Amino acid sequence: MRDKIVYALGLAAALVIAWNTYAISQLPDEVQQGAVFKIIFFHVPVAITAMIFAAVALIASVLFLITRKFQFDALAVAVTEVGLAFLAANLVTGSLWGRQIWGIWWTWDARLTSALVCWLLYAGYLMLRRAIEEPTQRATFAAVFSIFAFLDVPIVVFSIKWWRTQHPQPVFWGGGSFPPDWSRHFLYNMLAMVALGVVLAAVRYSQEESQREIDSLRRMAHAF
Amino acid sequence: MYLLLAQITQEDLRREAMRLQHDYEFLTYGLIAAWVILALYVLLMVGRQRKLKREIAGLRAMLEEKQHS
Repeated sequence: MRDKIVYALGLAAALVIAWNTYAISQLPDEVQQGAVFKIIFFHVPVAITAMIFAAVALIASVLFLITRKFQFDALAVAVTEVGLAFLAANLVTGSLWGRQIWGIWWTWDARLTSALVCWLLYAGYLMLRRAIEEPTQRATFAAVFSIFAFLDVPIVVFSIKWWRTQHPQPVFWGGGSFPPDWSRHFLYNMLAMVALGVVLAAVRYSQEESQREIDSLRRMAHAF
Repeated sequence: MYLLLAQITQEDLRREAMRLQHDYEFLTYGLIAAWVILALYVLLMVGRQRKLKREIAGLRAMLEEKQHS
């Protein structure tokens, strides 16, 4: 039943994104930036989803350290991995936008650099997990590392407020605004991306449960 | 206004058309890149799911065999 709900949510999210992509293509081009501005409809939702998942990973890691329940460790790894994929999509779409608008693929400004560091930190989290065999030790070290990695998330979010960056100020949070129909399409994409992320995280979570089952079956096999 | 329009040359129009084409090209690249990354991740998950199922089935079969012998 849980699987059916998850796959139905995934299908709904994919349909909303497909329909919304068509609707966004029909919107007029932005006056100064032209068509490439429409990358914002994907670039920002994937970034927000990645940041939400980083916060969930932090909460799950703290809860694991308090309760020692492996469900929280599984949740932390699931949302971290999905968040990493979304953050990669964010970095690549941002780079393509920058090539067209700034004329460069990359610049070491505070927002871009902190986002790349964030990606590297969470990639390091996944590598750390692969390096430790013993499950309790792996979960404990990973939880501590995840809490440490989250320190970069507020820097990513607030870097455009704290420092003068080449990265533009946000549309909604920087005194700007969208026309109402643009806001609506942005919101649809935002919700669909979060839903897609939740679906992927749920699938990844069930894979962690399967991995735990494998670990216990192996222990039983050794006991014989 | 008309004076300004009269100053537009063929070269200006060609440059503007090129800019628009580039805009659409990069928008398309952006969307393709984002979806390719997510699709690759989904494929990675599907592969992992199959591997886990195979591993569970193999271990269960091995345990049953050990229990019978």
